[in-house]
Amino acid sequence: MCIRCEISRRALLAGGGALAASLVSGPAAARIKPADMVPLIGPGFKPVDRDEQGLWEQMDRVEEEIAGTNLLIPDNGIQHYVQQLIGKVGGPAAKDMRIYLLRIPEFNAMMFPSGFAVVFSGLLLRMRDEAQLAGVIAHESGHFLRRHMIRQWRDMRRKSDLLSIGSMVAGLGGAGAGIYLGDYVQLAQLGTILSLFRYNRELEAEADAMGLRLIAEAGYAPMAMSDTWAQLIGELDASAKYRRKHRDRGYDLFETHPAAESRMTDLRVSAAEMTVPGRHYDTGRDRYLSTIAPIRQMLLDDQVKLNDPGASQYVIETLAQDGWNGLLRFYEGEVWRLRNRDSEGDWTRAAQSYAIAVAYPDAPAEAWRWHGVALMKEGRQSEARAALSRYLSMQPHAVDAAYIRQMIG
Amino acid sequence: MRKAVITIAAFGVALAGCVQTRQYADLQFAPPQGDYSLLVLRPDVTVGSVTTGGMTEPRADWTEAARANLIEALKAQQAARGGKVHIAEHRGDIPSVDAETVAQLERLNYVVDESIVLHKYLGVYLPTKRRKGLEYTLGEDAVSFGRKTGFDYMLFLHAEDSFASTGRVALQVLGIAGCFIGFCAPNVGGGGQLAYASLVDLRTGEVVWFNVLTTGTQIAGVNLGDIRTPAGAAQMVERLLGRMKPGHDVRRAQKAQS
Repeated sequence: MCIRCEISRRALLAGGGALAASLVSGPAAARIKPADMVPLIGPGFKPVDRDEQGLWEQMDRVEEEIAGTNLLIPDNGIQHYVQQLIGKVGGPAAKDMRIYLLRIPEFNAMMFPSGFAVVFSGLLLRMRDEAQLAGVIAHESGHFLRRHMIRQWRDMRRKSDLLSIGSMVAGLGGAGAGIYLGDYVQLAQLGTILSLFRYNRELEAEADAMGLRLIAEAGYAPMAMSDTWAQLIGELDASAKYRRKHRDRGYDLFETHPAAESRMTDLRVSAAEMTVPGRHYDTGRDRYLSTIAPIRQMLLDDQVKLNDPGASQYVIETLAQDGWNGLLRFYEGEVWRLRNRDSEGDWTRAAQSYAIAVAYPDAPAEAWRWHGVALMKEGRQSEARAALSRYLSMQPHAVDAAYIRQMIG
Repeated sequence: MRKAVITIAAFGVALAGCVQTRQYADLQFAPPQGDYSLLVLRPDVTVGSVTTGGMTEPRADWTEAARANLIEALKAQQAARGGKVHIAEHRGDIPSVDAETVAQLERLNYVVDESIVLHKYLGVYLPTKRRKGLEYTLGEDAVSFGRKTGFDYMLFLHAEDSFASTGRVALQVLGIAGCFIGFCAPNVGGGGQLAYASLVDLRTGEVVWFNVLTTGTQIAGVNLGDIRTPAGAAQMVERLLGRMKPGHDVRRAQKAQS
């Protein structure tokens, strides 16, 4: 139950062979209204059904492993902050859910059956304010509050049961009547697989609607969630365009999540429904930015090293809509320096960004380093020495300090 | 003709059930005997029910019962060999090391076990490991762990067991009944055991012994073991750990002596 899952789709497909997908067309699902979404569990929920107990028990070790992984972002206030956020938008289960922040530079978050969520650091990088992050966390809470994991499991169990009984009966009936029904059995198998995906998409749409209701109740602007989707679509387009490809538009029958566009449209319509005209909504931007400040450089660093210039540039430009600063300008330069394509003038672009970055008071030490290197290449020795000295004074124990000192001479 | 088909089917059904183990040992491995201390780290046990459609649904109550039974059986079996067993259910249960150190060693062992399974059991044999028995080690970390905790050996144990649900058994009955009208599906299957154990010598850090046990039939409803019961758990421990063979060099030396 994650916000964008690739793995679970593969896992679902592994259950059966993907046959000619054109046989069945997926019906357009109607929008689920946030007003219809009520939490299905109360505070302190513990499973009573046997199947759910089994599912929860298996999660204990998974949670222990996640809580102890070295990918966990050390608690410098941020862990506490996201835990508080889930407390705000967690509905009746606010006090029961746990949230773990992992250093994985991808846009994703997921909820596990027993009520703990995992948020990837790549998501923190992309959120422009607290309202957007609250939207994602509320979506994940929605999965738990609407009991999606056990409902999905039961759906899968019921459908696989029916398929097995159906195949057996078809075999027996066919043998009795002297005809071969194998083709129909294969068709039924495909139908079963497709309906599993459809159920999954329905649950995602439910979680979107539930999440929207939760953030609206917590006093965040309901539009924050569709903004997040608009950003994601923009980023995927930019990344694909850079690679001269088209974004996977998600019209696939085997898609576990509704197509990004239809999700965004539904969220926008629902948000308009939930927005109270004239009311002031809190975005919590300053609070958000000051909380993630200690790790923002790390988040940007991880992103540019993914070697996905289209996406990185898009992310940086999106964040810069709230104002450029030294950190963003430096990493804009890093995107092009790391691509390093001479024919397209990457180095020149990078050097320009470094030069602009150092004009901001918050320029990171590395910006001075690379600005110095750029000046040196241009033959502006004395300016280069000044910039490099600035780098050394900011970071006297840098790994390359001895090398830079020698450069200054 | 039809009778012949049924006979063949019945024969196939009879053949399908089996209990299989395949163990590997370090060339110099001698099974622990006498006065030794053994640490069993977080036995990993899952018991589930096989649904009509063939999915395995974990059952918390069965798993709890099986874990308790396996631990008891393990203690009894090791005591018979003279060993003292300490079973750590949680990473924090081990004196004089912190949970993080235990976690690191456990993760290391997990990946080493994965390569043992890949290169010894799944057919991706390595030419450099031929005729060398089991040649894997957890290295210095395991040795220093042994020094700090005072244990001689460490055992990792993974056990799965599953049982066909009523619906699955009904499907099986239909499948066999179908043989009489010409639609024969006798091997619906569902349920069975998979277990593995690896033994680490904490004085050298080496993985000295590894065993995999599979138990099952291709007929849903017929199981060859049941770790939810004390007797069934003892049976699994005996099948998995009871017939621990010495390494190749040790066996040759023994043969030369006799």
